Amino acid sequence: MDFVVETHDLRKYFGSIHAVDGVDLSVGRGEIYGLIGPNGSGKTTLIRLLIGLLRPTSGSIRLLGEDMPNKAILAQTGYMTQASALYEELTVRENVAFFADMCGKYDPTWRDEVIELVNLQDRSRSLIRTLSGGLRQRTSLACALAHKPRLLLLDEPTVGVDPQLRATFWSYFRSLADTGITLIISSHVMDEAERCDRLGFLRQGKLLAEGTPAVLRNQKGTTTLEEAFLQFAVEATEGGE
Amino acid sequence: MNLRRVLTITRRVMRQILRDRRTVALIVFAPMLMLTLGAILFRSDPAPIPLGVLNVDQGVTSPIVGTIELGQRIVDELAASDDLAVVTLSQEEVDDRLRDGTVEAALYFPEDFTTSFVANRQAVLDLLLEGSNPMRSVTITAHVTQAAMRGLAGLAGTGFGVPSVPQATEGETALPVSVQATYLYGGEEFDTMDFVAPVYIALLSMFFVFLLACVAFLRERSQGTMERLAATPATQMEIVLGYMLGLGLFALIQVAVILFFTIWVIKIHYLGSLSLLLLVIALLAIVGVNMGILASAFARNEFQVIQFVPLVIIPQVLLGGTFWAVQDMPNFLQPFAYIMPIYYANNALRDVMLKGWGLAEIWPNLAILVGITGVLIILSSMMMRREVS
Ligand SMILES: Nc1ncnc2c1ncn2[C@@H]1O[C@H](COP(=O)(O)OP(=O)(O)OP(=O)(O)O)[C@@H](O)[C@H]1O
Ligand SMILES: [Mg+2]
Repeated sequence: MDFVVETHDLRKYFGSIHAVDGVDLSVGRGEIYGLIGPNGSGKTTLIRLLIGLLRPTSGSIRLLGEDMPNKAILAQTGYMTQASALYEELTVRENVAFFADMCGKYDPTWRDEVIELVNLQDRSRSLIRTLSGGLRQRTSLACALAHKPRLLLLDEPTVGVDPQLRATFWSYFRSLADTGITLIISSHVMDEAERCDRLGFLRQGKLLAEGTPAVLRNQKGTTTLEEAFLQFAVEATEGGE
Repeated sequence: MNLRRVLTITRRVMRQILRDRRTVALIVFAPMLMLTLGAILFRSDPAPIPLGVLNVDQGVTSPIVGTIELGQRIVDELAASDDLAVVTLSQEEVDDRLRDGTVEAALYFPEDFTTSFVANRQAVLDLLLEGSNPMRSVTITAHVTQAAMRGLAGLAGTGFGVPSVPQATEGETALPVSVQATYLYGGEEFDTMDFVAPVYIALLSMFFVFLLACVAFLRERSQGTMERLAATPATQMEIVLGYMLGLGLFALIQVAVILFFTIWVIKIHYLGSLSLLLLVIALLAIVGVNMGILASAFARNEFQVIQFVPLVIIPQVLLGGTFWAVQDMPNFLQPFAYIMPIYYANNALRDVMLKGWGLAEIWPNLAILVGITGVLIILSSMMMRREVS
């Protein structure tokens, strides 16, 4: 089977910190893959490695069938940073249009659709610096989608988003996946984890466990993912010592 | 007021600065660097000024004292001076040597130089100055006058009856020597501002654009959009070029404003073509943009950008031939002038505004500016690539 994202023994060391420490990842087409882990577990580092913003210490990455690093493939990937990264002096529309143009997608009707998807049509002419944190987060998502990517890498996309919109986001992620788009979403919110097709539990740069939410729960015989995750973590700590 | 809170803030501020090693280094070393540079430049013995001499003075033969050749006497005094390097020229050479800069002034002694001195008790020196640097013209005139005075002083015992002590009458010094200066470039109607204007314009247009580019690029990184850009197919080179054009357009507006203001409001005199001036300044501004982009790679915040002013801009002022002529600088400093973009812009602007030169003469300077731009673009792109660690 062809994987959209494939890594082999991927490592990234910052001096003595092993931010990503031997990750083998395979994510298929149309899958929602959740990267779950506590602060500092390496979620952001892994995503930045995947998209070529960091050079791996060792290991290999393939995105959409191409070996990374490969600039051209970035026209087909969407990336949402953990802290919103937008041009403060531009409007919502202008930001969305800018990132779409950078990826060679010049389709104005699609841009309006994307802005509607994140429910910003009323604020599309507002300057970013006048927006609240949640509204910025929505704009960020719109920017990541602006060029119809085949692979989306979203780093904690729902931080600061209200519950109602969070539900909208997730149903939207699902509809994207149904059209064959692959999503890798990092989070430490467990009820979001439930909505992923497959999860990877990340801790200290290592994938502790991987599987569908149901399988992971069953493995530890717990009722919630949170408990399952804690058990995996305890197990890893004991095994390590 | 709570003193403890004040001191807590004091301690925090000090800690922050100490942790910023670049700032600490700058506070310590930048003044030393600038003082050293200043001392070297102010204390350096200027190189002798090449002075062309064309002497066809026939002299005067008197039955009592024999032949007196006043022209030759003055030439000997000029040659003895450490400040001047005398070059003997022929009539045909004068203009060419002045134009190509191998002499900076030419002194002409006509056939009847001595004769007319004897008749008028006044030596009129016919000095042709290159003229594009007024300070330089003053220095040369002074040196020539001094040498002539010494030459005449030697005559005192010869029975020519030269007044040995110049008499001051009604505030006017009755020197037996006067210089009649003509200028190859510039001239009477040019005042100091006219001469300073070219370098002034260059400096201004470079300075602001440098800061603008540096801060704009820095902001891109601090607000995280650089990371977002790096996650698109855009290459580093494309990003640098995009910035260069965007900021370059603003630079062009600024350049136009500066130029039109200097010409129509300050009303400076200039020769040469306006569009050529615009081209030179625009090129320098583009260099400024790229220097700013490159410098921003070394800055982590706006404060550090300001610190680049003493590191990047002031050396341009001191070493780029802006106020000190490069040929007057100590030998070991001269190579630095040749890596200062502003040096080439200064040359080109002076050539156009004061000498009325055209593209055919100034193109080497422009070509070097274009080359520097290319190097800067490549360096900036490389710096950006390095950030993907
Ligand atoms: N550029 C860097 N230089 C040095 N260390 C880094 C760098 N980037 C990340 N790290 C370290 O790598 C580890 C993993 O960081 P990372 O940002 O990937 O965590 P994360 O899972 O995204 O955490 P969070 O949930 O807080 O966003 C941390 O210990 C972090 O301090
Ligand atoms: Mg993170």
